[in-house]
Amino acid sequence: MRRAFSSRWRLSAYHTQLVLLLAPFVVGTFLLIFVPMTITLALGFTEYDLFSPPRWNDFQNFKNWAADLLFQRALYNSAWFVLIAVPLRVLGALLLAMFLNRSGRAFGVGRAAIYLPTMIPEVAYALIWLLLLNPGFGAVNLLLNALGLPSVGWTLEPFPARVSVTVMWLFQLGEGFVLMLAALQLIPQDVLEVALLDGANRWQRFRYIILPFMVPALLLLTFRDVALSFQGVFVAGLLTTETGPYYTTYFLPHYVYDEAFGLFRYGYASATTSLVYVVTIAIVAGLFFAVRRWRRDDAFE
Amino acid sequence: MRLNNSRIPRSDEFIRTNRGTNKFVTTRAVGTLITYALLAIVIALFLFPLVWMFSYAVRSVNLPAPSQLEFFTPPLAFENFARLNEFFPLSQFALNSLRIVAFAVPLTLLTASWAGFAIAQLPPRARNFFLGMSIALMLVPALATWIPRFVLFAQLGWIDSILPVLAPAVMGTNPFFVILFYLAFRRVPREVYESAYLDGANALRIWWSIALPLARPALLAVAILAAAYYWSNYADALLYLRREINYTLPIGVQLLEKAQANNFPLMMAAAVIMVAPVLVLFLFVQPYFLQGKIAERWLK
Amino acid sequence: MLRRILILVVIGLSVMVIAACGNAPTQTTSGAQEIVFAVNEEPEELTAFQSVVEKFNAANPSIKVTLANTPDDDEFTKKLAADIAARTPPDLILFNYRRIGPFVIKGAVQPVDDYFAASASIKPADFYATAIDAFKFKGMQMCVPLNLSQLQIYYNVDLFKAANVPLPTKDWTWADFLATAKALTQDTNGDGKTDQYGVGIARQAIRLMPFIWQHGGELVDNAERPTQLVLDQGVALEAFQWFVDLQVKEKVVPNKEAEATENSQSRFQNGTLAMFFQSRVLTPELRATVKNFAWDVAPLPMDKTRATILHSDGFCILKDSTKKDAAWKFIEFMAGKEGQRALAETGRTVPALISVAQSDAFLKSNPPAGNQVYLDMAQAVRPLPLMTTWLEVESALNQEITRAFWGDVTAAEAAKAAVENTREYFKRNLIDLGSP
Repeated sequence: MRRAFSSRWRLSAYHTQLVLLLAPFVVGTFLLIFVPMTITLALGFTEYDLFSPPRWNDFQNFKNWAADLLFQRALYNSAWFVLIAVPLRVLGALLLAMFLNRSGRAFGVGRAAIYLPTMIPEVAYALIWLLLLNPGFGAVNLLLNALGLPSVGWTLEPFPARVSVTVMWLFQLGEGFVLMLAALQLIPQDVLEVALLDGANRWQRFRYIILPFMVPALLLLTFRDVALSFQGVFVAGLLTTETGPYYTTYFLPHYVYDEAFGLFRYGYASATTSLVYVVTIAIVAGLFFAVRRWRRDDAFE
Repeated sequence: MRLNNSRIPRSDEFIRTNRGTNKFVTTRAVGTLITYALLAIVIALFLFPLVWMFSYAVRSVNLPAPSQLEFFTPPLAFENFARLNEFFPLSQFALNSLRIVAFAVPLTLLTASWAGFAIAQLPPRARNFFLGMSIALMLVPALATWIPRFVLFAQLGWIDSILPVLAPAVMGTNPFFVILFYLAFRRVPREVYESAYLDGANALRIWWSIALPLARPALLAVAILAAAYYWSNYADALLYLRREINYTLPIGVQLLEKAQANNFPLMMAAAVIMVAPVLVLFLFVQPYFLQGKIAERWLK
Repeated sequence: MLRRILILVVIGLSVMVIAACGNAPTQTTSGAQEIVFAVNEEPEELTAFQSVVEKFNAANPSIKVTLANTPDDDEFTKKLAADIAARTPPDLILFNYRRIGPFVIKGAVQPVDDYFAASASIKPADFYATAIDAFKFKGMQMCVPLNLSQLQIYYNVDLFKAANVPLPTKDWTWADFLATAKALTQDTNGDGKTDQYGVGIARQAIRLMPFIWQHGGELVDNAERPTQLVLDQGVALEAFQWFVDLQVKEKVVPNKEAEATENSQSRFQNGTLAMFFQSRVLTPELRATVKNFAWDVAPLPMDKTRATILHSDGFCILKDSTKKDAAWKFIEFMAGKEGQRALAETGRTVPALISVAQSDAFLKSNPPAGNQVYLDMAQAVRPLPLMTTWLEVESALNQEITRAFWGDVTAAEAAKAAVENTREYFKRNLIDLGSP
């Protein structure tokens, strides 16, 4: 650290003050995120039932995965969800941002409307959808009936239940939407202008100018979304579809919660949580390095 | 930098060089129509759940379940809100939630903006290290933190108080917020800050008088996001609060759901109570960062 | 400037700390010992407990009992586990005997044999044997039972009268029950869809088991040391098929869509469902919410024999508690005559204390008027097997029962799947129990 700081010693006091400002964040995240994650990683190699101290059992927890049908179910469901919901959300955020990136009161209302569902607290949001998806008198089925279509058992059948949870998550793409809007407006207008005068069509403008400029923001959004979507379905799956029917909306967070707190197999649950983290990091790192060569502008750093 | 003084045409005004003027005007009119129709659909779609929630919250309990789409069916039962307190002291819970938000949001704004401010001025290596660390930490699943944090707070004797719920605010609540502030502050070259220091201001004054005013949209955005997070926090509150008198609103709504599972008007009324403050906050703040050019305000 | 702000922040944080710590005193200013009593009750039932706790606190100034309620079953167990891990457990809990296995086996519960021996007010013989035995483990008495609740049938008297159907009798059989259910399942407004159902029953193992017993079968191969389910064979399978047919064939129970639109309990409370299977726990809520019709309780129908399933909650002292003696004093009050009487009057319990069960405090606690049903059936009440992994078994079994009940698979297929999916849990239970 010291050699990174300037040799102008008058500024070293300033840098000390900056470090002080950084301290709460660093100390806090160390204690509240870094240490717990490390403990969790370590506990993944133990057998711990919360009553007596943890016992090392090396890789036994990981071997148990092979035989644990419920784990495989939860893993499959979570993987399905992440692979489908994240691209949809990111794409949706991008497209909506491109569509609504213009001035005018009506478009302002549109932007606000898109952001609103994100602000609804989890529990209230799940309850609203519980009402909307009720097979007998929920608004969704009432709407379908008004259009002459038959009702669908949204929380009753496996595939509709998955669709329900996904749609609920998609409705909350507002945060990403705002991020995309900001990134869109960062694109220098003169480059676009030159492209126009050169006769580039819409697709070419998008592919060769807009997209490359958007890449850092897209990456950040995707990273965050991958991490969030592992955990984000917890309340929805619990309250709206009750992890059913028959475990079709039973995701890894539910599994970990049940294992840790319901069955007191906390070491085993920690191993699963560690898996979620490792997979998230792997996806994020993979995306980062795959896309790095596309970056034209040092916009992120 | 502009090549000439003409303005950039909007996408629906794109000039088709081969077509005659009349056709161009019609195409443009149709294009505008489609655009506004699409916009209307988007607005209706995203607002629908909220509207249904409000509509159902004032639905009389004596009415049978709806058999077709009906909104705000008379008679309007505003007494549903009054009745909420019969089951649980929801107003007490709301107050508890408010107390948490009142402490946590300012603290978050302080620590997150401080951290973002500091990181923006670090030399590249250190800066990338902290950014990378922030991303890595941002990705940690919440499940990984529950029990270790619980044990930590139990050692401190903080169980059954709101301190564990407030604790994340000391670290800026979420590394994502720190990154947002970083993005806001980095637009100003480091030299500007340093010269201010050499002119006699200390870091805190520079942060307060120079950096923060430039980051007002980020400030507002983080304020809303943090407020929404603490207002709706369910998992932490449930784990750390033992006595009913200390419960927060999300717990209360969950309790209500258990007790009155089929009384949807009542549950929607509770949902409205949960959503309303967040909505009000949002409506108050949104002009600052959703109208017009967001990036300018965010990152100028 | 920096220093000033830092001082402000430190002061602010200290204020917060003090304010927050003020929420959790463990000694009241009068010096009374505070006991935390954790329960898992719905709001209507909670008021019953609160009034008894207040009575105790008033009569015993040196002890202050604080009720900590968590209505959700799963959350309750989770909080308990987290508390035990962090060494901040409640002193006393009221726990269902189905859920107690893991805690007892891991030694988290304090056996109470010595307390019983030294007690002047309550003795094991004062309680119904079935209830006392449900909380015994390896010969030690782990908890003191509160109630001898059983699965019975709540029924809507007015609907019976309107359909001219005879009310249930003490000895009514499966055939009587089915005929009654069919007569009460009607399409009241002629739109082709059933509006009124005869029966509402949860798709759970604890609802199915009485029927298996009544038909002469068992759910597991050995009650003491079970090694597997025997649901897929002989008598047990027949009973399972009969149970499933209530929906699949006879249609006297709401189907999947109907149940999701409005659940059976809600239908009963709204007067559109005639007979609802539930234990005593529902009584306070019914008293509070049902205003429009008369209701009563009826015994389960019998087949080859009478049987019903035990639902019992017991007071358990946690080993890590530092106030065990005070907690026992409270148990003497709650599980003894005073507490039992007060709770019986609220309708929440069928007292496990024989003397109170046979007194007017319980028998005249109405509605329902037919409280004698619980006492008549007392000999026919049977407990679940005590297993560390019972909840996992139940969870897997309930999935299969649900599948068969909705007709997604046949009863035989579901039974087979249940037996297979639960093998591992039985194995683990045997390991946990150790050698006999």
